Amino acid sequence: MTKLAQWLWGLALLGSTWAALTMGPTLGLELPLTCREVLWPLPAYLLVTVGCFALGTVGYRVATFHDCEDAALELQTQIQEARADLVRKGLLF
Amino acid sequence: MATGTDQVVGLGLVAVSLLVFTYYTVWVILLPFIDSQHAIHKYFLPRAYAVGIPLAAGLLLLLFVGVFITYVMLKNQKVTRKVQ
Repeated sequence: MTKLAQWLWGLALLGSTWAALTMGPTLGLELPLTCREVLWPLPAYLLVTVGCFALGTVGYRVATFHDCEDAALELQTQIQEARADLVRKGLLF
Repeated sequence: MATGTDQVVGLGLVAVSLLVFTYYTVWVILLPFIDSQHAIHKYFLPRAYAVGIPLAAGLLLLLFVGVFITYVMLKNQKVTRKVQ
């Protein structure tokens, strides 16, 4: 089974469980009020959590990325040499 | 380690995401179990907003992405027409 199919299966399972529990009372299932209060915003909560996790991971990796100052300088000098060389050979920038 | 603005921006993003996560968790998961007379409830909006605000934000994001894609596509079309 492909990854997409797995993800869709998982989401369908969770979604149908949530739908069944939220519509429970209309089918005769009685849950305590606090449980129902926590249950109905759950999909939005999971989305926000995933979004926060993604944002936090991106921020953390930006902050801990290893800069290579020497390599950056070397690359920039090489770029300038290449530009000068190409201009000499007639390429217009 | 990254330096200067990179570190500030990165750590800022981490802080923002932690803040949003904590506030939202308290709002959605913890508040229903806290007695409705407790003082903490005045720091949180009515629960309907707990789904409304992320939904509105998501729709705004989609709108922005759509507008951006349309803008880039129109710009490309104009360039190809000028070349022709």
